[in-house]
Amino acid sequence: MGIFQADLGVHGAAGSVEPEEISLLMDGELDGTRVETVCIGLRQSHCVSTWVCYHVIGDALRGPCATRSGFAERFSQRLDSEPTVLAPQRRRTGPAAIALAAAATVAAVSVVGWVALSTMPMPDTAITVARQAALVRAADARRAVDSEYLLAHQEYSPSTGIQGARPYLRAVAASEPDARP
Amino acid sequence: MSGGPPELLRTGLFAATLFVVPVTQAQEATQWLQRAADAARTLDYVGTVSNQHGNRIETSRLAHFNDVGTEYEKLTSLDGPAREVIRLNDQVRCYYNDARVVRVEPRALHNVFPSLLPQQQSTLLEHYTFRKAETARIAGRDTQAYVFEPRDNLRYGHKFWADISSGLLLKARLINEKGDAVEQFAFTDIQIGGRLDRTQFRTVFPPAPADWQVIETPGADVAPHETGWAVKDLPPGFTKVVEGFRTLRGKPDKVAHLVFSDGLVAISVFVEPTPASPQPVGLSQQGGVNVFTRPLNEHLITVLGEAPGSTVRQIAYAVSRR
Repeated sequence: MGIFQADLGVHGAAGSVEPEEISLLMDGELDGTRVETVCIGLRQSHCVSTWVCYHVIGDALRGPCATRSGFAERFSQRLDSEPTVLAPQRRRTGPAAIALAAAATVAAVSVVGWVALSTMPMPDTAITVARQAALVRAADARRAVDSEYLLAHQEYSPSTGIQGARPYLRAVAASEPDARP
Repeated sequence: MSGGPPELLRTGLFAATLFVVPVTQAQEATQWLQRAADAARTLDYVGTVSNQHGNRIETSRLAHFNDVGTEYEKLTSLDGPAREVIRLNDQVRCYYNDARVVRVEPRALHNVFPSLLPQQQSTLLEHYTFRKAETARIAGRDTQAYVFEPRDNLRYGHKFWADISSGLLLKARLINEKGDAVEQFAFTDIQIGGRLDRTQFRTVFPPAPADWQVIETPGADVAPHETGWAVKDLPPGFTKVVEGFRTLRGKPDKVAHLVFSDGLVAISVFVEPTPASPQPVGLSQQGGVNVFTRPLNEHLITVLGEAPGSTVRQIAYAVSRR
């Protein structure tokens, strides 16, 4: 059984450790009451595999750290185009959160190789797959949430009823003006 | 230890008060929600509204006007790309200044809440506690806050601030299990009633910009229909509101759409044939809406709603052929 097939399935058993919890633990954001359980769970080999995988995927996604020429210029251009943040809040963008998302993508595209693995993944394979995952993800990153689904949902949302069309109109305004028929 | 009721009896009484919600309180909650919904639809108002989610704040100008049953609404973005959305009853026109595109969309706004199922009116408070909270001043007006706190970890909490004199919601917040705000709408200034200038409802753009592309979307309403899909083990309190197929922009095939509601929020289930291009799966978030996508044989299941990620995920895994 491939580790991701096992890890991304439904976890019904009480006391089992969710891959997401391992990810949260890595980012230091796991609920305090679960830390001990998850750490005990890490004694199981499939949990260790997940832990190692997320680290390898995170490393692969971060890529080489060397900066290329023109970095400062590109950075300031990018900064100019960012919206002004008046009240920054913490958001889960730790490496393990990204790795978790990438792992889900890996499962989606059924990358050959994972299924054959039953023990600790070989780092080379993991890196190759993670890069592939990153590519797939980058291509879809802009439309992670299908705006058509969001709009269709808002028509029926009670929040639209009690707040007027505010949430709905906001979803419309945030959608892309693409020219699809 | 004195002459109090025996331990067993006291436990029984406690359990009884826990699950039998006084009718008056349930009525108060639904009447209050109804008043907010009516105010949003019938009043004339214009103001600046901020929407905060994650680490982002977006500000818009909102104007609403009801002329003997005909509703006009205009939302203009004040930051980011210049965009304008104008609603005339069910017809929505979106002006994308940056792309020089107008999208015309007939959208049925099903005000699900005002038509709460009778069963939900009585069960709403089995899943939330309802209480009147503090009074607060918002956008220069006196408001009364109300809180719906979930009794389980399957739902978010809701806090609403209603204008005392009109009932209109001036602020609404979705709260997660840690007590953090997931999403918030708030007016920063507002004028309610009085004489609103009708020119405020005209677009700042010409009515039919000659060189703009106009895209008309065909009616996309859900025709009630059995889709062959079902959700086993729905979270308690959720009831099916609608089921049918709909045509969505960019999707070659009809998509099955099922909506479930617990009276305060809705969760949508979409099932489409596996798209040609690979889709991201797993959990993602858009403001207060969590989205979980997973493949199931030849189909792609997408579940989304104003509920915690674990809840939409649980529902996504409970979808199956009927």
